[in-house]
Amino acid sequence: MRMVDVSRSLPTGPALGLDQLRAGVRRVLPNASYTAGAAILLPVVLLALTAPWLPIADPLKPHVLLSFSPPSFAHPLGTDKLGREILSRTLAGLRISLLVGFASAALALLVGLVVGTLAGYLGKGVDRAVTAAVDVLLSFPALLLAITAVAVFGNGIVQVILALTVAGLPLAIRLQRALTLGLKSRAYIDAARLANAPAWWILIRHVVPNTLPPMIVVASLHASNAIIAEATLSFLGLGITPPHPSLGNLIAEGRPFLQDAWWISTMPGIAIALVSVSLHLFSDGVREHLDPRLSI
Amino acid sequence: MKPLLRRLATVPLTTLGVVTLVFLMLRLLPGDPASFIAGENANAQAVAAIREKLGLNGPILLQYVHYVGALLRLDLGHSLLTGLPVASILKQSLPITLTLAGSSVVLSTLAIPLGCGAAWFRSHGRTALDHALTLFALGVDALPAFWVALVFVLFFSLRLGWFPISGGLVWTDLPSLSLRLAMPIVVLALAQIAALARVTRTAMIEALGEDYARTARALGTPELSLVFHHALRNAALPVLTVIGLGFGRLLAGTVLIESLFSLPGLGSRLLDGIFGRDYPVVQGAILLYASLFIAVNVLTDILYTQADPRVKLS
Repeated sequence: MRMVDVSRSLPTGPALGLDQLRAGVRRVLPNASYTAGAAILLPVVLLALTAPWLPIADPLKPHVLLSFSPPSFAHPLGTDKLGREILSRTLAGLRISLLVGFASAALALLVGLVVGTLAGYLGKGVDRAVTAAVDVLLSFPALLLAITAVAVFGNGIVQVILALTVAGLPLAIRLQRALTLGLKSRAYIDAARLANAPAWWILIRHVVPNTLPPMIVVASLHASNAIIAEATLSFLGLGITPPHPSLGNLIAEGRPFLQDAWWISTMPGIAIALVSVSLHLFSDGVREHLDPRLSI
Repeated sequence: MKPLLRRLATVPLTTLGVVTLVFLMLRLLPGDPASFIAGENANAQAVAAIREKLGLNGPILLQYVHYVGALLRLDLGHSLLTGLPVASILKQSLPITLTLAGSSVVLSTLAIPLGCGAAWFRSHGRTALDHALTLFALGVDALPAFWVALVFVLFFSLRLGWFPISGGLVWTDLPSLSLRLAMPIVVLALAQIAALARVTRTAMIEALGEDYARTARALGTPELSLVFHHALRNAALPVLTVIGLGFGRLLAGTVLIESLFSLPGLGSRLLDGIFGRDYPVVQGAILLYASLFIAVNVLTDILYTQADPRVKLS
């Protein structure tokens, strides 16, 4: 049982102006996690996207004379074995990691929406088949599913995106199916059905839009997990292979020089942490905004 | 007892699904799997030999029947590289993986008192532990495990020289074995500790706010007994779920950890198999991982009913 603070709901006279200001700020910046997440994510994404046009060294061009330079003013994050700039390589890796993370999240979201909605709405045989397939996929831990998929599809960016989509799919389908089932018995869906609306219209117009907010929260978490999973796969040599830099294979490249040139592995690791922390904060913020009860 | 049987009845079905998926895996390889495995320069004879070994001859349904039949006799085929039976290869590497995952599960239960403490202090207006826990969880979620492992190796092995990161495993030499396995187990457990502490905290905050907790307090129940006897039992359900799910995640995590710390467990076999295109080993390892995962999930479901009689399996 929680006591209700009565004094808060009483009119406070002159302080009203400040309260209004606060409410205005809250409308633009729903909550702290959301704001902090966006504040880290946006500059990082912007840097990664504009990297090819920034005045920094070519990520692939070696300068053997500069090899293993520690971080300094001339080489902000240091250089690697071949004298390649870690800053440029981390940004190039970040581009690929973001592409993989967001593409697989978008794909999982899309397929999850379609399959989950159909299973939930049509029920019967379709539902049973989908549920059985999802149960089988859920018998694999997600990372193992991704490794299995890579073993079948092979290495490469497209293959890794597909593998991570497969790994995230069962949860997306299951959630969308549950959400659809919950909406199916609502009065306004019955009303639409009585008004002779075609099924596709009900699904697109009334069901899917109402399932989107929680699904987007899940998709942003999936993006964060996928970025870490891509890094893990590439680190193991199963994902994106050199010379394409990805955050995972950059860390793997620095592994033999851990003791003498710590910056080669550390910097890409920090980049992963920044992106992943901000995505977590962002999805926490969105969820809190959608359902304030969850913020214990 | 009936719902329990119904839950158990889903196991063979799910297992059959997993077997089917693993069977199809080899057949889904781009192009002809046999010539893909044999390599570009192999002659027709070698390709035919591999096809024969993998059981890729004949109609697909017959292949499937043969595959399932062999599995029932625990025959997982032979490694393409060494010719050894896959079952015995896996049997050799399983103890290492189970030791890693099992020890991590045990270690991670440290998180339960942590979560309880955070919830209790929070209900008394002191939030330092709560905030520290949240920060720790965020950090662990955001950092890839392999990167954390590298940092651990850098500090504790290369700089301080406390733990060895190479060398064989001798099961009878317990002190050296625990030194060798300590770091992998801790790194593996970190994510699970964070998840478990967070769930315990949330469930305990709820439980400590319930009427029965207030009643117990009013009756003069000591705080320790209130937290660990009354509230924790009611918060046990989500905690058990996370332990059960965590075991699966730890199993998957062993793939990475074994490769990082060069331990010859199931995960190393799987990766070696993928790199060497030794598909019978890959299939066997994946099947074994999935079966363990299914078994743990069922066990968790059964434990539920023991921990909380209100739960009915449906």
